[in-house]
Amino acid sequence: MNILTIFLLACVTFGTRYLFLEGRLPLRLGSNVKQLLRYSGPSVLVAICTPIIFVHDHRLDTSLSNPYFWGAAAAILVGYKAAFNIYWSVGAGILVFIVASYQF
Amino acid sequence: MQRAQKALFSAARKGAADMLPLSLAVLPWGILFGSLAVQRGFTWIEAQLFSGIVFGGAVQIVTVELMADNASLFTVLFSAFVISSRHFLYGLALRERLSPRPLRWRLGLGFLLTDELFALSGDRRAYRNRFRLYYGLGAGGSFYLAWNLWTFIGIVAGTSLPDLTELGLDFAIAATFIALVMPGIKTLASFAAAVVAGIASVAFTLWEFDLSLVCAALLAMCVGFTIQKIRGQS
Repeated sequence: MNILTIFLLACVTFGTRYLFLEGRLPLRLGSNVKQLLRYSGPSVLVAICTPIIFVHDHRLDTSLSNPYFWGAAAAILVGYKAAFNIYWSVGAGILVFIVASYQF
Repeated sequence: MQRAQKALFSAARKGAADMLPLSLAVLPWGILFGSLAVQRGFTWIEAQLFSGIVFGGAVQIVTVELMADNASLFTVLFSAFVISSRHFLYGLALRERLSPRPLRWRLGLGFLLTDELFALSGDRRAYRNRFRLYYGLGAGGSFYLAWNLWTFIGIVAGTSLPDLTELGLDFAIAATFIALVMPGIKTLASFAAAVVAGIASVAFTLWEFDLSLVCAALLAMCVGFTIQKIRGQS
């Protein structure tokens, strides 16, 4: 029974992922929808990030002793300084995050 | 190895390397899922099968609890559908680039299309040529292997490992996503979209709203698009 449910769950996750990749699906995206979708990447990524940074244990954490905040600030700052080099940005963010975690 | 093959292989390896921080960041969650499933009475085959074919972090953790609590099949599948609904957005965003590709690529990359792979699909040229397809395969495939390995470790270790989710490894996800987003924020419209997405997502998450991610993203996309229209940018 569990195995059957797991297979059905796989159908749900795969179905939602695959549906719009199927070319035969009779759906043409108009130019407005395409322009709207251009914002999907940044919007989704930021929407995943900010709760990780600011919500801990179901509560808003905007205090200055939040190491996630300092790490994120460092990642943004170094990203600008290092011409958007992903590795520098991630590296600096994690480093500051670790230091801040020990500090607070 | 022939030169062409070598180039494809190195594209895949680049994808795996770019995915590495994210693959490592989900280690605590993979282990948590594996040990949780075994503790809640699932066999190790069932637990591994979850990660092998369902392949979705939040979906797995939520549904394994629901199934252990004997929730109805409808509840289990509906919860999975709600959590998975964000994939529709990813499919739509990549439709133009992936739908003309051969079936095996669509099936393969479609199966691997997690938040993390979507995060690495932001480049305008993503999936446009064979190298870009192999890049996606390397990124998505390596993430799949990592997720399954972490699950396996969780299954084997059971309760003998401490809860690693408090270690802050999730910060690596935030840092990587920030780094991936920044180069794309060049206009007022994209900046506004990012700000709205960030605030709305925090607010919806605090309200414990199940569709927080999708709704925050849709709202942000509409704001970005509206500003773009008002300012007359194309």
